[in-house]
Amino acid sequence: MRKLFLLLFGVVVFATQAMAQRIVTGRVTDEKGNPISNVSVIVKGTTVGTTTKPDGTYSLLLPATGKALLFSAVDMTTVEMQVGSGSSMDATLKSEDKSLSEVVVIGYGTQKKKEVTGSSSTVKGSAVSNKPVQSFEQALGGRAAGVQIIIPNGVLNNPPVIRIRGTNSLSLSSFPLIVVDGVPTFTGDASGTSAGGNALASINPNDIESIDISKDAAASAIYGSRAANGIVFITTKKGKSGRARVSVDSWVGWTTATRVPEVLNSAEYTAYKNEALVNAGTFNAATNAFIQTPGPDGQPIDTKWADLVYRQGFSHSNNVNVSGANDATSYYFSMGYTSQEGIIKNNNFKRTNFLGNVDHKLSKSLSFGGKISYSNELNLAAASSGSLPGEAFATAGLGRAVVVNAPNVAPYLNNGNYNINPANGLLGVMNNKQVQVGFYNPVPSLDLNRQNSENNHLQANFYFQIKPVSWIALKTLYGLDNLLTDNEAFANGLTGEGFIVNSFGGNAASTYSKNKRWVWTNTLQLDKTLGKHGFNLLLGHEQQKSNSVGFGVGRTIVSDPFYTNIQGGFTGAPTAAGLGIGENYLLSEFGRLQYNYKSKYFLSGNVREDGASQLGKKSKYGTFYGFSGGWEITRENFWSALKLDKIFSSFKVRASYGKVGNITGLGNFGALSTYGAGLYGSGATLAFTNAGNENLTWETSKKTDLGVNFGLFKERITFELAWYKNNIDGLVLAVPPPPSAGLPNSINTNIGSMYNKGVEFALNANIINKRDFTWNFSFNINANKNMVTALAPGVPQIITATSLESPSITKPGYPLGMLFVTRTGGVDPATGRRIFINAAGQKVYFDFASPAASRYRFADGTVAPAVGSQDAQIFQPTVPKTFGGFENTINVRGFEINALFTFQTGNYIYYGSYAGLRDQRFWNNTTDVLRRWTKPGQETDMPRPVFGDNISNGSSYPLDVNVFKGDFLKLRSLTIGYNVPRMLTEKAKIATARFYISGNNLLIITKYPGPDPETSTNGNGTTNQGVDRNQVVNGRAITVGLNIGF
Amino acid sequence: MKKYIIYTMAIAGVLFTSSCQKADISPIPTASISDASAFSTPDRILAQVRGLYGAMRSGQFYGGRYLIYNDIRADEFINETTNGVTGLEAWNGTVNTNTNVVTNLWAQAYYTINLCNVFLNGMASSGSGVVGALAPNYIGEARFIRALSYYSLLQLYARPFADGNGAAKGLVLRLTGNTGSGDYNLARSTVAETYAQVLSDLNFAEQNVPLNYADQATNTIRAHRNTVIALKTRVYLSMQQYANVITEANKIVNAAPPFAASTGVANTLQADITNVFKTPYTTTESVFSMPFNDNELPGVQNQLGFYYSKSAGNGEYSLNAAGIVADAGWTAADKRRTFNAVVAGKLYLDKKYVSATATPYNNYVPVIRYSEVMLNLAEARARTTGIVDPQAVALLNAVRNRSDAGTVFTVASFATSTDLINAILNERRIEFLGEGLRSPDLMRLLLPLPAKGTVSSVAPGASNYIWPISASELLLNTLCVNN
Repeated sequence: MRKLFLLLFGVVVFATQAMAQRIVTGRVTDEKGNPISNVSVIVKGTTVGTTTKPDGTYSLLLPATGKALLFSAVDMTTVEMQVGSGSSMDATLKSEDKSLSEVVVIGYGTQKKKEVTGSSSTVKGSAVSNKPVQSFEQALGGRAAGVQIIIPNGVLNNPPVIRIRGTNSLSLSSFPLIVVDGVPTFTGDASGTSAGGNALASINPNDIESIDISKDAAASAIYGSRAANGIVFITTKKGKSGRARVSVDSWVGWTTATRVPEVLNSAEYTAYKNEALVNAGTFNAATNAFIQTPGPDGQPIDTKWADLVYRQGFSHSNNVNVSGANDATSYYFSMGYTSQEGIIKNNNFKRTNFLGNVDHKLSKSLSFGGKISYSNELNLAAASSGSLPGEAFATAGLGRAVVVNAPNVAPYLNNGNYNINPANGLLGVMNNKQVQVGFYNPVPSLDLNRQNSENNHLQANFYFQIKPVSWIALKTLYGLDNLLTDNEAFANGLTGEGFIVNSFGGNAASTYSKNKRWVWTNTLQLDKTLGKHGFNLLLGHEQQKSNSVGFGVGRTIVSDPFYTNIQGGFTGAPTAAGLGIGENYLLSEFGRLQYNYKSKYFLSGNVREDGASQLGKKSKYGTFYGFSGGWEITRENFWSALKLDKIFSSFKVRASYGKVGNITGLGNFGALSTYGAGLYGSGATLAFTNAGNENLTWETSKKTDLGVNFGLFKERITFELAWYKNNIDGLVLAVPPPPSAGLPNSINTNIGSMYNKGVEFALNANIINKRDFTWNFSFNINANKNMVTALAPGVPQIITATSLESPSITKPGYPLGMLFVTRTGGVDPATGRRIFINAAGQKVYFDFASPAASRYRFADGTVAPAVGSQDAQIFQPTVPKTFGGFENTINVRGFEINALFTFQTGNYIYYGSYAGLRDQRFWNNTTDVLRRWTKPGQETDMPRPVFGDNISNGSSYPLDVNVFKGDFLKLRSLTIGYNVPRMLTEKAKIATARFYISGNNLLIITKYPGPDPETSTNGNGTTNQGVDRNQVVNGRAITVGLNIGF
Repeated sequence: MKKYIIYTMAIAGVLFTSSCQKADISPIPTASISDASAFSTPDRILAQVRGLYGAMRSGQFYGGRYLIYNDIRADEFINETTNGVTGLEAWNGTVNTNTNVVTNLWAQAYYTINLCNVFLNGMASSGSGVVGALAPNYIGEARFIRALSYYSLLQLYARPFADGNGAAKGLVLRLTGNTGSGDYNLARSTVAETYAQVLSDLNFAEQNVPLNYADQATNTIRAHRNTVIALKTRVYLSMQQYANVITEANKIVNAAPPFAASTGVANTLQADITNVFKTPYTTTESVFSMPFNDNELPGVQNQLGFYYSKSAGNGEYSLNAAGIVADAGWTAADKRRTFNAVVAGKLYLDKKYVSATATPYNNYVPVIRYSEVMLNLAEARARTTGIVDPQAVALLNAVRNRSDAGTVFTVASFATSTDLINAILNERRIEFLGEGLRSPDLMRLLLPLPAKGTVSSVAPGASNYIWPISASELLLNTLCVNN
């Protein structure tokens, strides 16, 4: 054991034998002449050996029998040198041919990239490290073909939306399976408060070695029932050969809010609203008017609410890791701390995380290893941003408060107190002769309230592997994933959120949720080449068990304003909060056979049988499979006969087909019929509350993939082209029975169908590759077509809400999530009235100033039936036609420039916020209303303002005027780095040093008028995507950092 | 040797893996009870019985809105907040198949009915054996609840019985429990067939529910024999089968004052009506009520007090100044006037449904009061005897006199039986103001829904005299046709 500990810390001492006859010394260098440390130097045929020192030198007592020395190191080709008569032997090690050694992580193993016949993309960890992000996916956008990443908005640690080759489910999740070092982890928002709490933020991006994304059935079928949305494999870093390396990565950054909507200032607002009152015929200077109020300086108050809510956030991140390896042991230990401030005041993210892993070969046949990762994340917020799923119309939402609240009132009264209406807790009206001029005053909310969530996330695994012979490996791996979340919220009675009339008000809630999972995987792998035939067989058995528990307590009305947490004094009785308990279990057997003939023809087959506890008792088990084949044409004789090998260094065609499933997001007990408890006259009740479906099973994806991969000029330029089609059947839909059947719920039934098909293209070109000048260019694009082909009887269409409004429709014959809005015909130049187009296609003129019964009129002046959401038409798609990214990396001497652009075309967005920005109630408006209709004959898109009009511009029901194209080109990140020359670093006794400055989200070219066309008010929602409603804006970050290696 | 140990352990581990944990594949939820064991103990079955009442007590149904809709459709209330969520369209007669009030009440009533059906199925298959002698009681209660639910749906979604003697389209009659997906297309029965089912359930219940329970609190919130009989008087009155009303009422009303039930629960009038609407809400006058307390509330925007009280609620509806409150015969001294109050310049039914405790809206909701049985009997006698029936007058007088000691009705007070009938109908408006009887009282006689405020009168033949069928029913049950 003691030896083991020594090994763990990388101190390896090989005993040397005393029978040596002479001393041999030498120096080991790489191709460029740089010394390599920790190279193993062994006398061939013996155990006698040593390792090189940091300067690459070694000294060894050579036994009399010693004939040759073996120099070996990880990632380097082993060199054998015959012992001559001299006492000095220098060796040069070449790094292994990357193209031969490059591997792709696939389920339960790796595969040489050259042999891959499925469709997958690899992103190096360096692409996502040292970025001003909370979780790695936020930096993944544009880097892999067919992988769409949407950052919903500027709320810190709000989980991004990930879509691999389109949206592949309607009611279940379309989020891919995330497998971290072999263990599927929790995803989504773990936070129970208004702070974002992405579970994936527990993985320090700096600890990631690679991200491999499996896209087709061949690559993913080994994950069977969970593979339909693709799989993202995260591989964390391991020690690399050589002495202990220490690297330190630090950055500091500043984030600012971008593209904040421009709203009227105090004078404009006051005049405009009074004009609207006059137009409505209700203006009265004494009782119904907007009036500015002098501030403490005697000048009229002009409050820019956005400046009081948004800020420049300062962030920093510090990571240190130690790693190393020799032939027997590799290890990696890291610690990271990052503290990030969001663009919203008091929205902060702090993560402290540790990762340690060790792999050790006990003997030639036995090896073991494990990792422990612990992360503590504080997701802090003061008030609701109104930007997480379901919050769009939250009264407290800061995204809306900054544009709605009147600019002619201040957050503070002139006496310094918060400006709050003591009657209702809303923003006080000051001199305005109005009942209401805002929702909540965000300033006290930001000062006094809390919406905090803390995650403690432990991810650990241990494996043991036996290789009785070199080509057989038996492996057992046990993994844990425990995500524990503490939520803590408090709303002060002085704020709108906590206000209760005639009392101290205030409310507090604390909830705790515990998600625990274990996975036990046992595999047998046979890897053998018999002549020209290469075989690799994998057989496995796996169990995964997840348990969740949640509980908490809520309190209302503090008994003294001093109290700010649930433990304090409250007058209201405590109420239970956050209750929940669940479990699910997955029992699986799987196998994979890979075969190649002369590394020319490749065949692969995967099969997996899954049993899932969430499913109906008659349909718990299912079999999934994927087959693929590849043909490396460059290996054919005719290829070289045609001299094509001079151009093409590789040319592989591949095809795959398979059937996989989706159960992500299915409730634990939804398939069961259950009775729930209640009370009647204080007596216990029991009632049938959930009608299950004993036939409920997974959604089935049948995926076809055809592809060509080829490389030119010794792989200087590589291309990947793929066509795919994913037919999804048995989409789970909650099918409503007739209400008279009296069932308590709509029953989840496998009934709908949909497809995604598309083309994907990726190019990587090493355009210039000189010692002092390299230029690498990569590009990828995906064109996807989504089509819903069937829903259910009684479900002709699914109209999906964004909180209070329903601008989305999913209907057979259309892509999912079409925008569903009432059409308009502009503004009548003669009268300034909004023209609606009703369901019958007739023009209907709307005048809010008319009596309620006659507001809607036809062109001839006759009263028309009211137009509403019943007149909505299917309008534009939210699914993009294409998306992708391109990246340039240029290295000139020590300097490096990296620019990543992402783009998207062909989608439309319902910019619901714009309806609010033109609402004619007390709400402040966009400066666009300054071009409102004022006189007959005027052509404009802004109707005549009539105070109280919440219909003309889309607040009452969604309108086409708030739908905009979402095309964009974004400079996602730009980094300029400088690598300090070796001669300088050597003087400083460090190995490498790099400084960089980086910008995130620096530039966006788009016609979209909202803050950001990459948006998702509804988070990971599927049928209500492409909606931008009342959200906070996005941020732009500048970071400065350094990476130092010792 | 070491190697062999390791190999053995590894193989054992693999074998262990494959054999254990199979139970985890079918986990049993711990926070809800499986349908397989819902009938396994007497306690669970009793809890299910309470659950049936609980479903009926939903704020969407008898917890509030059923009563509210039946009042605001008629003429006693004026809408003050023009809020669709709180029944604006029900008030002004503009509901359509999609209106929330139409779809929500339809769904909750049928949910209640299906719970009864599922319960009856479960009792038949195993539950009766578990509870033994109590089984007929429970089954009777379930059938009572089913009957009241169907009866209530008839009042809103079907033409009155008087229109063609029940020949019009009635309800989708569901009599077996539904627990999963299936073909649920079913056409509507006639009004007469639906009433026949209601009576069949009530006749069974009358024979099987207990005479009384251990305490008056339970007597108030669960059906005993007198509850069933009381409901039967209402049902027969709706069908204009006055002789049957008399037969049923006589079972629980003495021939002469003081009027009271002589068997079972001693239901009778209270001396002071305000005591009926006061905690503990369990006087013998409350034949059947929906209980509420601090832990069991009707839910937001469902509470009677929220709708009618201005001082303690939201004042959704004020009293129509041209309605019954304008009746000069309803004297100022009448105790029932104390439920009304002028707040912010308007008269509201401000005090009837306001709880005395700190928690608002935890007052019981009256479903059947003994005074209704008395007035049902009075009306039936007045209509069948064709004279100014002395017992009818006595019953009317008992109701009036206990709240208004200064007014005494005698046979001499009425010139004709019609005058007497009108006086009884008038008394019902006063006595049951805000108790959900006004619109059914008009409709059973095919009277127009009178005009109020800006809303005009609705003639008995008008399409909006009754509600349309829920849109989702029409969409998903292709055999169901709209009114």
